[in-house]
Amino acid sequence: MPRLNDQTRYWMLVLPALAIMVIFYILPVLGIWEISFTEPATGFGNYVKMTESNAVKTSFILTFRVAAITTVGCLLLGYIVAYAISNFVSRLTPLMMALVLLPFWVSVLIRSFSWIILLGRSGLVNDTLRDIGLISSPLRLMHNELGVLIAMIHVMLPFAVLPMLANMRGISRSYTDAARGLGASEWTAFRSVYFPQTLPGVFSGALLVFVLSLGFFVTPALLGGGRVLMISEYITYQIQEFLAWGLGSALSVALLVATALVLLIAARFVNLKSALLERN
Amino acid sequence: MTETTDFEAKADIAEIAVERYKQGLLTRRGFIAAMGALGILPALSGKTMAATTEIIVVNWGGKAKDILQEVMCDTYTKETGIKVTVDGAGPSAGKIRAMVESNAVVWDLCDSGAGSALILEKAGVTQPIDYSIVDKSKVLDGAVYNNGVGNYVYSYVLASNPKLLGGNVPQSWEDVWNVKDFPGMRTFRKSVRGMLESATMSMGVAPKDVYEALGTDDGIKASIDRFRQLREHVIVWGSGSDSQNLFLQEEVSIGNIWSTRAHLLKDQMEEGSFTVTFNGGVVAPGIWVVPKSNPAGTEEVMKFIAHAQTPELQVKWLEMIGCGPANPAAAALVPDSMQKWNPSSPENLATQIMYNDTWYAKNQISAEELYVDALIN
Repeated sequence: MPRLNDQTRYWMLVLPALAIMVIFYILPVLGIWEISFTEPATGFGNYVKMTESNAVKTSFILTFRVAAITTVGCLLLGYIVAYAISNFVSRLTPLMMALVLLPFWVSVLIRSFSWIILLGRSGLVNDTLRDIGLISSPLRLMHNELGVLIAMIHVMLPFAVLPMLANMRGISRSYTDAARGLGASEWTAFRSVYFPQTLPGVFSGALLVFVLSLGFFVTPALLGGGRVLMISEYITYQIQEFLAWGLGSALSVALLVATALVLLIAARFVNLKSALLERN
Repeated sequence: MTETTDFEAKADIAEIAVERYKQGLLTRRGFIAAMGALGILPALSGKTMAATTEIIVVNWGGKAKDILQEVMCDTYTKETGIKVTVDGAGPSAGKIRAMVESNAVVWDLCDSGAGSALILEKAGVTQPIDYSIVDKSKVLDGAVYNNGVGNYVYSYVLASNPKLLGGNVPQSWEDVWNVKDFPGMRTFRKSVRGMLESATMSMGVAPKDVYEALGTDDGIKASIDRFRQLREHVIVWGSGSDSQNLFLQEEVSIGNIWSTRAHLLKDQMEEGSFTVTFNGGVVAPGIWVVPKSNPAGTEEVMKFIAHAQTPELQVKWLEMIGCGPANPAAAALVPDSMQKWNPSSPENLATQIMYNDTWYAKNQISAEELYVDALIN
């Protein structure tokens, strides 16, 4: 067998994965692009219809808002968790890791249903609050955007914690120690020495959560009471209820383009390469 | 009306098989095999399709399938010796049409709707009802078509939970839009069907004028605006079981739901915590349609339809699953305790309107779009 050069060998190693991507992802996506221009008539009809529709506009704004708030929530909570796990070694550390990973073992559907039991009008939270006399009538915790946000942050949290954790574990303590030794206060050492080093982890967590949230479907459908109609649910609605494949496809193309735009804008402010490829 | 995910998946696969057969991607033999594997063609192997020994009646599955079998079909078999089997495959208009056009008809009688019945008649894939066998006078007005005849009725009704409302029960759609005196969440369907009518009536339009008011774009907009005003108090139901759950979990105090679901809820909820009024309800008939060149032959099916008109059986159907009798003569036989829940009792019919398919054929899709926009945040 002739000796292959390194590059060819690496390419051959990634070939199976690449083939799967092309056959089962890229080609169908292109098919969707085609449908958006050809059904029911050839041309830009679907896109015109889309931009004229208020419902689509509202749904897009809603989708991006929910995704943005979810991302911020996940980063705030996740940063604290990741910081605690990577900086305070204790016997509890493995347990905390397990708690972060545990939700991955339970289906999103079940987790969303659990929130229904917790947040319902006569759910655990409302009943408890009422029993201890804090509220007289039940709070509206679900079937609205609040419920969707609570559950989305819960579902997405591991996706924020894990990249930040990986990043923080690679940061040597000696930097902050040196800063402290040179007279920086604990806060200053964290702010100007530790925090900047964690930014790549924060950004990759943010990107992961944001992009996943944009296409999220199950949780908003279950906890939104039908009124938090994310764009992915709207697409399903078009395709299943009205058999409007063309419009549904156009919407999904628009979502893809919008997501790409967000990444491009992000790339102007953040070094995406370091956020996505390098952990330090 | 009961749908389960299981059925939907199955129906979907069947739809795909029909589609592929039509496109010539599946041979006739493959098609029959696929349908058989899905249980849509029960025990077909080894039998000729023209055998008149069995009538296949198709409805939408779930509990309704078993009850149709027990109430209508088994009684017919007992009387005539002819086997009748219910299949819950979900006879959507698309499927019936594909079956007839591909010459692979395996269904004899389908539980369809008025809109679908008209579409199918126009497409020329259903048979005329033989009104010398089926008695026209045993069917409600408005449920008699050339190629379709009413089998049962259900309504969109105003349901409420008196316990959550402190005994103050809404009597009209106007009350439903009055959030001050009738607090709590309301539930409406995630589709304009049966919903726009209620919003129109809430503005004081008389029931008989509803579709006239909805006949103009302004009328539709006005009705949609009513939902916009109410939306902070609305939870949307997607499937019949959604609406049932929302009442069971006391998430809503008021709702516009199917009378068949209300029928289940009245037994599931505590005494005094569930009631309905048919005032301003919208009655929708279920319609029997017979696909062209059905295997059991025209006459056999017509005889079965006539059998299913028997008032006593229709009353039993109502008692068991809430399907309102399509035969006006049945109303008198309904026990007093059930009258209140019967969508087709003379008292309840008097306060309701008939679902208008022509309006839906023309306006539904554009109205749905506006409706979604009005409801989402």
